[in-house]
Amino acid sequence: MDSKKVDVAVIGGGVHGCSTAYHLAQKGFRTALFERDYISSGSSGRSAAGLRYQFGTEVNILLAQYNMKCLKTLGEDLNYPGDLEYDPAGYLWIAYSETQLEQLEKNVRLQNELGTTGSRVLNVREIQEVAPFLNTDGMLGASFNQEDGHINPHTLCFAYADAAKALGVEIHKKTSVTGIITKNGRVAGIHTDKGDWEADAVVCCAGAWSVEVGRWLDLEIPITPERHQIMITEPVERMKHPMTLCLDDGSYWKQCPNGTFMLGVGKEEVKDTSYYASWDYLDSATERILPKMPILSGIRVVRQWTGPYANTPDFQAIVGPTPAEGFYIDCGWSGHGLQFAPSVGRIMAEFVNGEKPFIDVSMFRYSRFEEGELFFEPACI
Amino acid sequence: MTRKMIKDHPILNFEHEKKKVVKFTFDGREMEGFEGEPIAAALHSNGVQVYRITPKHERTRGFFCAIGKCSSCFMIVDGVPNVRTCVTALEAGMKVETQTGMGILKPEK
Ligand SMILES: Cc1cc2nc3c(=O)[nH]c(=O)nc-3n(C[C@H](O)[C@H](O)[C@H](O)COP(=O)(O)OP(=O)(O)OC[C@H]3O[C@@H](n4cnc5c(N)ncnc54)[C@H](O)[C@@H]3O)c2cc1C
Repeated sequence: MDSKKVDVAVIGGGVHGCSTAYHLAQKGFRTALFERDYISSGSSGRSAAGLRYQFGTEVNILLAQYNMKCLKTLGEDLNYPGDLEYDPAGYLWIAYSETQLEQLEKNVRLQNELGTTGSRVLNVREIQEVAPFLNTDGMLGASFNQEDGHINPHTLCFAYADAAKALGVEIHKKTSVTGIITKNGRVAGIHTDKGDWEADAVVCCAGAWSVEVGRWLDLEIPITPERHQIMITEPVERMKHPMTLCLDDGSYWKQCPNGTFMLGVGKEEVKDTSYYASWDYLDSATERILPKMPILSGIRVVRQWTGPYANTPDFQAIVGPTPAEGFYIDCGWSGHGLQFAPSVGRIMAEFVNGEKPFIDVSMFRYSRFEEGELFFEPACI
Repeated sequence: MTRKMIKDHPILNFEHEKKKVVKFTFDGREMEGFEGEPIAAALHSNGVQVYRITPKHERTRGFFCAIGKCSSCFMIVDGVPNVRTCVTALEAGMKVETQTGMGILKPEK
């Protein structure tokens, strides 16, 4: 097969690949994106699609401020004709112990110091005001931001992919990348099941599957994929209820703009990238959530699915250049990466262009693991 | 009782005469039906064809798939929304109401 040529090849059609390709094209790079299945088929389309200002480390808080600003008007900014269903219904983090509450207070303090507006700590009475259907038994307090919320993870990916295409990006769906070509010690292209492409740079946005991509260049990307399950109910009329996340057992749920309730539990799960959903999850999720939200008792669950978290040892992303020249990575987003596409897509294009990223993300560097510079994000499950 | 039902069927024998007739209400109007038959069947035989008004286009919907799959016959029964009346058995005294929109959840008493 003929070899084709681009400046940059992006591996993965999740939200990070699509945003990265869009930002690369904006800078004038001839870009091709390769997705093994369909756009949003990986973790992105399977996520709970929560968006928030509420993080607990400086870098994530600063990136979140940019993400949240972009996501609000992204549909218009990308000229997307569909609906991104951006919905700032608020986000509650609920503490059941003093230690948890102290951590939430600390997160809010740091957010405020860094200029986030709207994050605050609530007592139990205030929790009842923002979420009147909650059973507050055992709750000590919460952190809350009314501007946090939800987006449609599929249309979010499509909006970036379509905008990238409009700028000339080649989007190759149903195309698996099978290897990376190197020449004179640097990246020179990729192999796919539909032929080879020459490229001066390769950006890996392969999510939980990045481990395999790294191995082609003898890089050990320390991601442990972890299956996470989630389910959705029939729609009911919209009620006053923000996204709610309980720190006692990792349960979370919210009402989507179409009236459905999404129910999830962030707990230890099978360590693989399988899409197999289990029966017992239906019990473990509903046993946790229904006592906390009794009004949902009679509602019917209509669907359950799974997606992998791309977990790293410190549950923080891995972003930036690597020891392999011309090979960049943006992966390891653990369970919170959907919402980081606006900022980090831009940053990946800045890296490839040799610029200094507009927000310092050096703490996400690939080498931090061997340097022992792990830094944990307290606001994740 | 004006029962819009097949009485003589070439194969099936419904044995209507053996069934217990019970009273229920539809949007406040008293009606009669057979205990244990689908609520939707009881409504049908009383001439009721509109069971719900759809949320988006506000269109009328009634009996459609009759096997509990299509959402067409969702009604409010004894205060509970989204009840599939085609597969839910009629009981004496049931309060059946037309559902408008997606149904409103109510806190348990
Ligand atoms: C149940 C669940 C709930 C979540 N909830 C949230 C949330 O509320 N908020 C939030 O922000 N995040 C959430 N996340 C996390 C979020 O989904 C991810 O962090 C994010 O989607 C990662 O995006 P990505 O583009 O890096 O990866 P992905 O979306 O996984 O994309 C990677 C893509 O690469 C493709 N690919 C892999 N290998 C190859 C190859 N060799 N060739 C070609 N293509 C390849 C895959 O098919 C895939 O489409 C959740 C995740 C799960 C599973």
